[in-house]
Amino acid sequence: MAAIGLPQLEEAQDLTALVDDLRVLFEDPDFKLASEIKRTTGKPIVGNFPVYSPVELFHAAGAHPVGLVGAGNQIEIAHADSRFQSFVCSVIKSTLELGLTDRLRDFDGMVFHSICDPARNLASVFKRNFPDQWVEYIHFPQNLVSESSVDYLESEYRRILDRLSELTGKQVTNDDVNQSITLYNRARSLMRDLYAFRRDNPHVLTTKDLYTVVRAGHILTVEEHIRLLEHVQRLVQTKQGHERDHIRVILVGSFCEQPSLDLINAMEEAGLDILDDDFMLGRRWFTEDVRADGDGVRSLAEAYRDRSVISSVKHDSRRHKGEELVAQVRSAKADAVIVSVPKFCEPGLFDYAIYRRALLEANIPHLFVEYEEKMWLFDKVQTEVETFVESLLLD
Amino acid sequence: MLYRAGVDVGSTQTKAVIVDETGTMVAKVLVDTGSNVVKAAERAFVQAAEQAGLQREQVDYVVGTGYGRFNVTFGNDQITEISCHAKGIAHVNPNVRTVIDIGGQDAKAIKIDETGDVKDFVMNDKCAAGTGRFLGNSAEVLNLSLDEIGERSLQAKVPVRLSTVCTVFVETDILSHLALGRSVENILGGVHSAVAARVVALARRVGVEREVALTGGVSRNVGMVHALEKHLEVPIYVSPDAHFMGALGAALFANERAIAVAG
Amino acid sequence: MAENAEKRNYRGRLHDLQKDLMNDYFDQMTRSANGEGDPSVYLLISGNPVELLRAFDLLPIYPEINALQTAVKKKALPFIQKAEEIGYSTDNCAYVKADIGLYFSGNQAPMAKVPPPSLLLTNYVGCNVYLHWWEHLSELTGAPIFDIDIPFLRTPDGEPRPEDIQYVMRQLGDLIPILERISGKRYDPDRLREVVELSRETGEYWAQIKLLTQLRPSPFDAYFDAVTMMGPLYALRGTKEGRDYFRDAYLELQQKVAQHEGPLPEEKYRLVIEGPPPWPYLRTFREMFERWGAVFVASSYSTVGGLWEFGFRHDPANPLESVAMHMLKWNLTNRNFLQRYAQLKSYVDEWGADGLVIHSVKSCRLFSAGQGDMREYFARQLGVPTLLVESDLEDQRYFSPAQMRTRIDAFMESLEHHKLVSHG
Repeated sequence: MAAIGLPQLEEAQDLTALVDDLRVLFEDPDFKLASEIKRTTGKPIVGNFPVYSPVELFHAAGAHPVGLVGAGNQIEIAHADSRFQSFVCSVIKSTLELGLTDRLRDFDGMVFHSICDPARNLASVFKRNFPDQWVEYIHFPQNLVSESSVDYLESEYRRILDRLSELTGKQVTNDDVNQSITLYNRARSLMRDLYAFRRDNPHVLTTKDLYTVVRAGHILTVEEHIRLLEHVQRLVQTKQGHERDHIRVILVGSFCEQPSLDLINAMEEAGLDILDDDFMLGRRWFTEDVRADGDGVRSLAEAYRDRSVISSVKHDSRRHKGEELVAQVRSAKADAVIVSVPKFCEPGLFDYAIYRRALLEANIPHLFVEYEEKMWLFDKVQTEVETFVESLLLD
Repeated sequence: MLYRAGVDVGSTQTKAVIVDETGTMVAKVLVDTGSNVVKAAERAFVQAAEQAGLQREQVDYVVGTGYGRFNVTFGNDQITEISCHAKGIAHVNPNVRTVIDIGGQDAKAIKIDETGDVKDFVMNDKCAAGTGRFLGNSAEVLNLSLDEIGERSLQAKVPVRLSTVCTVFVETDILSHLALGRSVENILGGVHSAVAARVVALARRVGVEREVALTGGVSRNVGMVHALEKHLEVPIYVSPDAHFMGALGAALFANERAIAVAG
Repeated sequence: MAENAEKRNYRGRLHDLQKDLMNDYFDQMTRSANGEGDPSVYLLISGNPVELLRAFDLLPIYPEINALQTAVKKKALPFIQKAEEIGYSTDNCAYVKADIGLYFSGNQAPMAKVPPPSLLLTNYVGCNVYLHWWEHLSELTGAPIFDIDIPFLRTPDGEPRPEDIQYVMRQLGDLIPILERISGKRYDPDRLREVVELSRETGEYWAQIKLLTQLRPSPFDAYFDAVTMMGPLYALRGTKEGRDYFRDAYLELQQKVAQHEGPLPEEKYRLVIEGPPPWPYLRTFREMFERWGAVFVASSYSTVGGLWEFGFRHDPANPLESVAMHMLKWNLTNRNFLQRYAQLKSYVDEWGADGLVIHSVKSCRLFSAGQGDMREYFARQLGVPTLLVESDLEDQRYFSPAQMRTRIDAFMESLEHHKLVSHG
């Protein structure tokens, strides 16, 4: 790899090698690639905390949105645990630690969302600790039954656009928004295709590889991410794989704080073919294309209500998460479910009780595992997964 | 001459100190607390009086401190170990501004002024990471005594990185490292570093101001002193009587109170 | 130190009357559970819009009140454990677990039989767990949910935006036909006006009561005595009984002021407290401060339901708007964390406090997540003596009396010294 950036794709014919290059980009706790993009494009960088974020608006306003999902197991938390207690999940602390150790110095702004109570308080703590930084908080509507929720969200998005204009100095037109929607639609559609490919060929496109390619999109520009996704799409068509004696599972619960790539790999190696998962939902949260020929802001607000993925941090009284999970298992012809939840993640832990009831009722086996992004050794999880796999294979 | 005593009843050890009117230490005794806390306090006090060659009546004021402070049945007063450690350390080294005390069950950071008054303090939360217990559990898994782990941790060439600071899970963590062929020294280096990181984080909450002193039982562990110095990047003052600081402070409070009572 | 304050805290008519009123309320609950009384609607404490229910003669049920009453009686643990057996985590809010456990135990709480909900009304006023809680209850009971989504105060001026207000008003418009259906009663704006007027009067007395603690000595403890009054404030607001209770309480407290009486024989320290109480150890926790002669003159917890002392009143001229504004702006939990810092700072300054105690509870991350930063702000930036202690609001396993006492004693010792030095 020559400079910090997307590897030369023409030369990258081996997916495994490409993935190794890519992981360096997003595991870098100093965000050198983001700084490089800022330097070369002149765009201000805005960090998006998980889960959902209207990245199209940031793009349209001339900013570069970078998904900021903590620091994995790359840094020690030495300062942030004086601000957040031991019973608060790691991603809250590691994200703050990045700020307190000056690793976000090239970031011009931060945006947080109404996903949970700690994330909301983190927005305030960021404001107090970094008073000069542009910090925003988006309240997503939770009453999706009411028609008024779309109007509300549209107004919230317009407020964010105004605030972004203060940051970038750009007046955003409807065409700008629609163009951004078109780009992100393209990226999402490619990711959906890769997800479908992985579901049918989990031994060819592993979850570790798919995850890396998707995660890279949290730091690359969307244009580069599209190039990468297209390239990977070509690569997997000709890639060979060996069928494995694995069980076929759906993985849920990892929508916010992420397990390290090595942990994902360890779970796969322990005998899982992961057919679907909820890793890195932020950039693939619409299940269909968003309309790109209308009022762009309005289209995004409508898409949130009508065609976005459900997760533990999105509440929609029209839908039942347990039933949706069971349907997902059935349609993917999965054998089992892995509920993998970050330690102290209250939304994920609450939903586990719902999943558990639904899965028991439907007679679908499941394994519950807890992880922390900062985990370094995975013996315990690996043993749990292996035992679970054995129990199913021996049945 | 009149004498006053401080009795510091901790979870594992009980310490008694007797001072004279001028605040000079004339006796110090350390006994195991055992299961009978009241008796341990009594025993430590009686032994201290013997050591000083005193009749117990010659000691006219006693302050109890530590978790078992209300079990010092013969005490005139009870004062927390936070106030007492601060008082004690200021007496032996008035330049100390930050006190780190690592005990068996808890860790504390205390910010003090030159007279030993507590300006601010924080203690560890529910989680026992960063306490003596974490070290104790680690020693146990490695089949070593608490006295030797510090020394051996100093020989670590590449300290391991623990994936947890949880006292419950440290055992699995250490076993995994052993299975990976890591040396006992490197593991101990990692253990001490993990505790130091937690304790330093605690100290940062009150603000680390020089000089920094380490008190409490863990102060005898050279590996811990070294790890703390590395994480704090400042030298650490350890009094030869570091584990008597609570009892000394209590005795000094007893002195003040006795004088106040006498009017 | 250690000349222990006499352990005789204030117990007046307002405590006895509260007991009677709450017992009546629990009896209504049991009647409703037996199919005899009004249909019940579950709602949540934060900025509660109880007026809407009262206007339709619907019985408000607050699972939070049920959970805390159970905890005060030290009866919550078996319920919590029951929930943990069926997949709820040790790291989930214990209010929710106690409530789920109660559901699986036939809804028989120690003080009442809890009726099943006709409607689960989620007033989503800050607390994210509320959304989860009601989702679970809906799955278990089959009762419908109505989410009133309240946009959080997130803009620099800390005010709701006009679009936020419109959004809430439209949702209230959607809600009314549902309440009509459940109650079998037509929406009567005049009836709502009456209820809101009663709430206005209640709020007026409550605000006056809360301001009395600025006096020296404070006539009551704004934490331990305030929580007594919070039951009627939520369960009975919008009723004549509720209004009369607060009128009587105000008169009683005024008399105490006239006689220079506080909740303790002597007020030695004035403290502000942040965070919900440790309900299973309420008495023990109180004694830990009482023995030092410490009185809480203000508490953030007592403003979860509303910020009357800072000027809020319901408005019978605009009843629905004022209910909306109560949820949006005039309660603690829908305000952002920095607004809470400002509120606590005003307590320290205007209520003349010697220090701040932060009671950090594991269950409620809305309150607790980030309180280390709050401590940092008060202790280091403002120089206010600040103590942070940890336990829980519901789960007795997280309260360690010896550890708690050492921290409180050490803090009080340093305050005592501070006083001695500053008064020469």
